[in-house]
Amino acid sequence: MKTAADLKYGETGIISGIDGSHPSSRRILEVGFTPGQEIELISKAVFNDPLAFSVRGTIIAVRKNEASCIKLL
Amino acid sequence: MKIQTLEDNYLITLVGPPNSGKTTLFNYLSGKNYKTVNYPGATVEYSISKIQKKFNIEASILDSPGIISLASNSPDEQVSIDALYSHPTYGIPDLVIVTVDASQISRHLLLAKQLIQSKFKVIIALTMVDLLQRKGFNVSTSVLSEELNCDVISIDGRSGNGVDELIKVAEQNLQKNRITGAEKPIPFDSNVKLEYLLDLYKEIEQIECKAISKVVDNGKQIDINGANKRLVLLNNGLDRKINKLDQTSLKIDKIMLHKVWGIVLFFLAMAITFTSIFWLAQPVMNLVDKSFGYLSYEALNILGNNWYGSFIANGIISGVGSVMIFNPQIIILFLILGLLEDTGYLARGAMLIDKPLSKIGLNGRSFVPMLSGFACAIPAMLATRTIPNRRERLLTIFIIPLMSCSARLPVYALLLAFLFPGDKEWIAGITLAGIYLLSIISSVSVAGIVNKLKNKIITDEDQSSFILELPTYRIPKVSNVLNNSYHSTKAYFKKAGPIILVLSGVIWFLTYFPDYNPKINTVNLTREQAGELQSSTRLANSYASGLGKIIQPVMSPIGMDWRVGVALISSFAAREVFVSSLALIFKVAGDESTLQSSMLHEMHKATIGNTGQSLFTTATIAGLIIFFVFALQCMSSMAVSRKETGSWRLPLLQFFIFTSTAYLFTFIVVNGLRAMGIN
Repeated sequence: MKTAADLKYGETGIISGIDGSHPSSRRILEVGFTPGQEIELISKAVFNDPLAFSVRGTIIAVRKNEASCIKLL
Repeated sequence: MKIQTLEDNYLITLVGPPNSGKTTLFNYLSGKNYKTVNYPGATVEYSISKIQKKFNIEASILDSPGIISLASNSPDEQVSIDALYSHPTYGIPDLVIVTVDASQISRHLLLAKQLIQSKFKVIIALTMVDLLQRKGFNVSTSVLSEELNCDVISIDGRSGNGVDELIKVAEQNLQKNRITGAEKPIPFDSNVKLEYLLDLYKEIEQIECKAISKVVDNGKQIDINGANKRLVLLNNGLDRKINKLDQTSLKIDKIMLHKVWGIVLFFLAMAITFTSIFWLAQPVMNLVDKSFGYLSYEALNILGNNWYGSFIANGIISGVGSVMIFNPQIIILFLILGLLEDTGYLARGAMLIDKPLSKIGLNGRSFVPMLSGFACAIPAMLATRTIPNRRERLLTIFIIPLMSCSARLPVYALLLAFLFPGDKEWIAGITLAGIYLLSIISSVSVAGIVNKLKNKIITDEDQSSFILELPTYRIPKVSNVLNNSYHSTKAYFKKAGPIILVLSGVIWFLTYFPDYNPKINTVNLTREQAGELQSSTRLANSYASGLGKIIQPVMSPIGMDWRVGVALISSFAAREVFVSSLALIFKVAGDESTLQSSMLHEMHKATIGNTGQSLFTTATIAGLIIFFVFALQCMSSMAVSRKETGSWRLPLLQFFIFTSTAYLFTFIVVNGLRAMGIN
């Protein structure tokens, strides 16, 4: 299944769900990554981690590992 | 209604997510005339102030740390949330003002909704409406107010538009609540189900959809609600435009977050920060040093060379001076950090360095505190508060004393001048660079080792996480940055000042008593020489020297004697005291211009006991340098470490581990060099 961690630079995706078993899932939801939202990969740091996504009109940086709990359509 | 009838101890707490304009509003309400207070026993800082007279309301406003949800994510966040429910000093708030960024409304209403659900008395201050309008949308405060069942007032915290209205509504709410009686807020269950959050967001999206409308060119508004009944459609229709990012920020980030240039610029920014802390502060530091030297000299002249004169001059004035000398560095540090934070860069820097640091158990947010450690460990430890993960924060605090702080510089300068006299100064420079490199390598290695030891040293376990909003780039408001660094600096001195003062007094006592008026033979001596002889005799018979003699067996294996021991003991007040103590012990005359050369001369002459063996050799000097690289000889660092970590466990571990490592390495270096024939 495709997750936010698989997005390429500049690619967009629509969130289908959040993997609730991930310890960071609650915070991921709280900052605005909810199903139905369109996100875009804005930037990757060196070593391709963390990743910066545009979501709900702001940019949020998350570790790749945490981005993998954001499932995409 | 007249304000006089209101109770004058109303407490209004300001709550809001980070970057929601909370602090701007607080500054406006308080007139920037606030005091910073600490939550007892914890690290979370609060600012409290009476609301300015011009608003005609008798109430105090409390600024709390930014949170995004009532469900805590870390122990520090839990403290902020607990304090919101009932602040240990100020109690339960009579009213909560929540700041909500109108252009981020769907994210920021989350906290507002949770507060309302928890039965706080809430009014919403809607900020950045102009930003939303620039995107082509308008927001109806009356619809929001109806949907949320609380008052919503649109404000501009910078210009103050709408703040009068906000205060008026706040007063009405306070009146109303007084009649209906205060209801205690319901504790929020931190273990919320994800479904709850999803439902909450759905509710918020419906509210957003009702309250926000599109502005069209002819000035009429199109109600998009009727057209798009379904949420998903709305997400694809309205949201795409409303969620449009700031284009300038995106362009800047193309460079700032570039894979190669991003990291180059990052190190450049850090290098500039570091050097300016150093070079900008130096002239001011010299000035402070000189002024306190002059004050101390004058005090001794006026009061006379007796015990109280010495106490005032050497104990109090020099003690305060040893704190004040770092003032310029601390102000510059806070200023630069404030500027970096206000522009929005700090968050990006943290993102860029997160991965390498996570390898050794640290976090992207550890880098700035580590860098600050080169100036002084105290503000560096304070700067770790931005690290939400407690384990990573404690690990960062743990290694900060290993960063080569500026107090070590005078010590290295003296020791290197001894090793490389005159024409070999450039070798001293290279060696100094090597010492800095060694401090970076050792701190990174220690972090790696402590991280590998898992729970042996740092027992706290937290899910390591890095989720950070990268705010829109902004031109910093200089007056706010200046004001904040003034308050941070003041808070720092209030906290560290008394400890340093008391400690200076103690060390003065140990070096002055019991033989405070020693009998000396003043025949053939000038008054100055007699004074010098008297103070060195006093020191030789002092409690400190007694202690020094007790630790003689410890000093012998590393090729040193009790005199170095005494200098080392007094260097626990501040590392640079090592230099002045050596000067006292080796009876160096107080002639400013030749102080160092006469000191070096005396050091060359010094022998251990009656053995005729030189005390200061290449081996022992190298050993001393190694000792200063590792040892934690800074009581103020330990005191701040205690305050920041909440117990003595970590500072004591730091002390024993770093100081015994220092001793071990010094032993190896001194005896190793001697075995190789280098004396």
